[in-house]
Amino acid sequence: MSAVVRSDRKGGDFGWARAAWQQAGFGPVLLVLLLAVNIAVNPARFAPGAWGTLIGLAAPLIGAALASTPAILGGRGGIDISVGPLMGFINALIVLVLVQRLGIETPWIIVPAAVLIGAAVGAGNGVLATVLRIQPIVATLGTYLILIGITLTILPAPTGTVPAWLRALGGPLSILPLTAVFLAWIAIRRLPYYDHLMAVGSDDRAAYTAGIPVTLVRFLSYVITGAFAGVAALMMTALIGSADPSIGPTYTLMAISAVALGGVSLAGGRGGLLGAAIGAIDIFLLQSALTYFNLSTFVLQIAYGVVLVLAIVLTALHERLLGRAKETA
Amino acid sequence: MMSRWTSDQWRVAGSLTVAVGLHVLGTVLIPGYSSEFSIRAMLVLASLLAIASIGQTLVVIIGGIDLSIPFLIGFANVVTAQLYGQGMNFALVCLVVVALACLVGAVNGLISSSLKLHPLIVTLGIGTIVQGTVLLWTGGFPSGSAPPALSEFVSIGGSAGVLPVPWLVPCFVVLAALIVVVLARTPYGRRVFALGSNPRAAPLALINPIAMWTITFAVSAGFAAVTGILLLGFTGSAYGEVGQPYLFQTIAAVVIGGTALVGGRGSYVGTVAGALVLTEINTLLIGLGLQPSVVQAVLGAVIVLLVSFYGRDPHVRTSI
Amino acid sequence: MADAEPRLSARGIALKAGAEPFDLDVGAGEIVGLAGLDGHGQERFIEVLAGLHAPAAGSVVSRRDGADHAVTSLRRAIAGGVAYLPRDRRATGIFPTMSIVDNFAIATVGQDRRFGLISRRERRRRYDYYRERLSIVAQQPRNAITTLSGGNQQKVLLARALAHKPDVLLLNDPTRGVDIATRQTLYAVFRELAAEGVGLVILSTEIEEMLLLCRRIVVFREQQVASTVTGDDLAAERIISIMFGRAQ
Repeated sequence: MSAVVRSDRKGGDFGWARAAWQQAGFGPVLLVLLLAVNIAVNPARFAPGAWGTLIGLAAPLIGAALASTPAILGGRGGIDISVGPLMGFINALIVLVLVQRLGIETPWIIVPAAVLIGAAVGAGNGVLATVLRIQPIVATLGTYLILIGITLTILPAPTGTVPAWLRALGGPLSILPLTAVFLAWIAIRRLPYYDHLMAVGSDDRAAYTAGIPVTLVRFLSYVITGAFAGVAALMMTALIGSADPSIGPTYTLMAISAVALGGVSLAGGRGGLLGAAIGAIDIFLLQSALTYFNLSTFVLQIAYGVVLVLAIVLTALHERLLGRAKETA
Repeated sequence: MMSRWTSDQWRVAGSLTVAVGLHVLGTVLIPGYSSEFSIRAMLVLASLLAIASIGQTLVVIIGGIDLSIPFLIGFANVVTAQLYGQGMNFALVCLVVVALACLVGAVNGLISSSLKLHPLIVTLGIGTIVQGTVLLWTGGFPSGSAPPALSEFVSIGGSAGVLPVPWLVPCFVVLAALIVVVLARTPYGRRVFALGSNPRAAPLALINPIAMWTITFAVSAGFAAVTGILLLGFTGSAYGEVGQPYLFQTIAAVVIGGTALVGGRGSYVGTVAGALVLTEINTLLIGLGLQPSVVQAVLGAVIVLLVSFYGRDPHVRTSI
Repeated sequence: MADAEPRLSARGIALKAGAEPFDLDVGAGEIVGLAGLDGHGQERFIEVLAGLHAPAAGSVVSRRDGADHAVTSLRRAIAGGVAYLPRDRRATGIFPTMSIVDNFAIATVGQDRRFGLISRRERRRRYDYYRERLSIVAQQPRNAITTLSGGNQQKVLLARALAHKPDVLLLNDPTRGVDIATRQTLYAVFRELAAEGVGLVILSTEIEEMLLLCRRIVVFREQQVASTVTGDDLAAERIISIMFGRAQ
């Protein structure tokens, strides 16, 4: 399986472009288009000096999309809709408990805490979805409600502040957490685990008969999703600079849209983090452009839905044409 | 004969038992829990949820999922009020609204099945477009009102002839019976189960998957619109977000009722039981004086708990 | 049963572009075998006959009640009196969550309607007829299909196909994974059907089985008909050597 992946990478000078196309369908095309529009209408916002802030703005959605991906890759309905509420939950715990109550401000505790809490909740989801075998959407719906409930109970209204270093992660240093997630994913891709995950996602029966521990592989995908959601929570906390119970949950459906837009198959086994990130950036740029034109949020919503549906429809049509060409050849 | 029950029937019986158990618990713990008003309120709320979940049940049995239900509820709610407020005949308004909703649902089903796209993402995208369009049309401030007859139809205090419940409840019982008959005793109903049971075998048994998905998602959207109209009567004024709680509640009702999200298995009676369970839990927890946020958390835990008892997937090894 | 008119005619069929076209007629009461190494076109051809695939060239026509029906889809095939039993029972045959009687009736579910609703009695009556005829061993028709043995599941699927009351029955490896006793029952049923005038096309991976049933075996090699074997030539060795391209 790894041999196949490697031979893909050798696709000549534009191999990376083809790989992006194969992984993300119309996502990259949309990215180029939207980027051009955005730069044309608002060069100041996209000037290199403003990149830190810009990435900081986009980071929570990108993070949420990245976090949503591993569980989806595992297939057979694998999905974690609790990513958004988990981000809100971690945000509340960091600001309210760690910073405010315990007075801990050092990143050496806060960052591991965020990742560990995420991974722990992810492990909980993993147990429900893979060991107890509750359908993932239902299991994580349960977690979704539980997390929102707890968050609102400990944090009824927005409050608190964050340390300076964390604030910097939402501005000049905003690229750091995203890089960290990608580095972690690149490391994972080099492990046999990645091949196992993709094999389980595309055909779990074949994977099982081939001796892959299907349950463990899927369980770990939820743990990774949770850990990444922890990083996404840090990015969100850096951006909003406080604890806010209402913001996290809004990321769930947007993140899943981004993942689909980025060509990750919701049936599992196809796609990757790069595609998910591109999908998320697409949504961010779309919002950014429409907001610049001062269009109402209603138009924004329509455009967002239209782009989402069009992009996945076009990707499907394109794949179908490719498939037909291959069949007649 | 008891041993002849199928696992589906056991699941339905299980969720009905949970609903009854919760009611008994509520009656013991909370004074006035079984008062006439409280029971009426629960019946009305459960009926509304069960109507909204008709489509979700059918869609889940054919192996899909419909996230556009809350958006179509909001759409119907706002558009009905607006058109009726502009002086249009109410029956005509309902017809137009339900027909439009069915059209949207048909698009959902057509796109998902013909292009083999995951319905989760298609219905989410289409739902977002619908909501945005409605907001744009009303400028975010819906106006209009419900006709008094509609409010009377769903009012908790209303009565249906000699029955101490509003007309909604007996009408719903008839509707539920109809749905059960359609699923069990019509070619369409049997094909719904067959398609969900084995999508690859269905075309060889002369079942057209695209037609089935288009029809079923249209039906789902249609009942979402009916719910939206009924909610207009219930609350008295239009509100675009009125459907939002139904996004996850319809899925929860379907799953608690024993319908499997992988398709091919389930029943509408189960969904009705699921709607009762959800309504009982909600009423019970609020009655115990818990905050809405705690209610939500407990609801999540209960869903997971119930489904872990009887809604579990088979292990991969059993499918080899 | 010397019916001059063939029930099913394939004319000028090419399974892929450039392949040499061939014809095939299936007469009433005839059992035709299709043989070949896996992937050499015989399976594609039986699917073309069923209307599931369009051939690269040529057409399939069924004849029912003196009229010609072009077979362009499965639905058209069935309307023209052609029924098809798929190969992979679990993947494309049974509906695992449904009952035995549901599995039998699903393709012809419209026939059970009385006043718009499915009559359970009518459905049961139809099922009982085929249960008897195919000697399906099942305790309760409303039990899940998965409670039956593989052989009995296959009989239910055969009953589903027969419920279309076909003039031509296409069988794609009908005894795959079926026990010996059930095989004998199935062979008897096939012969009975042929005696009643139904034309049968059997694709099988077991040559002995076809030698037992067929008077004519069409052998495929590389997406074309390599040879049609009849009469005294019907012997396993001869067919195998054609399959491997060692004889014509």
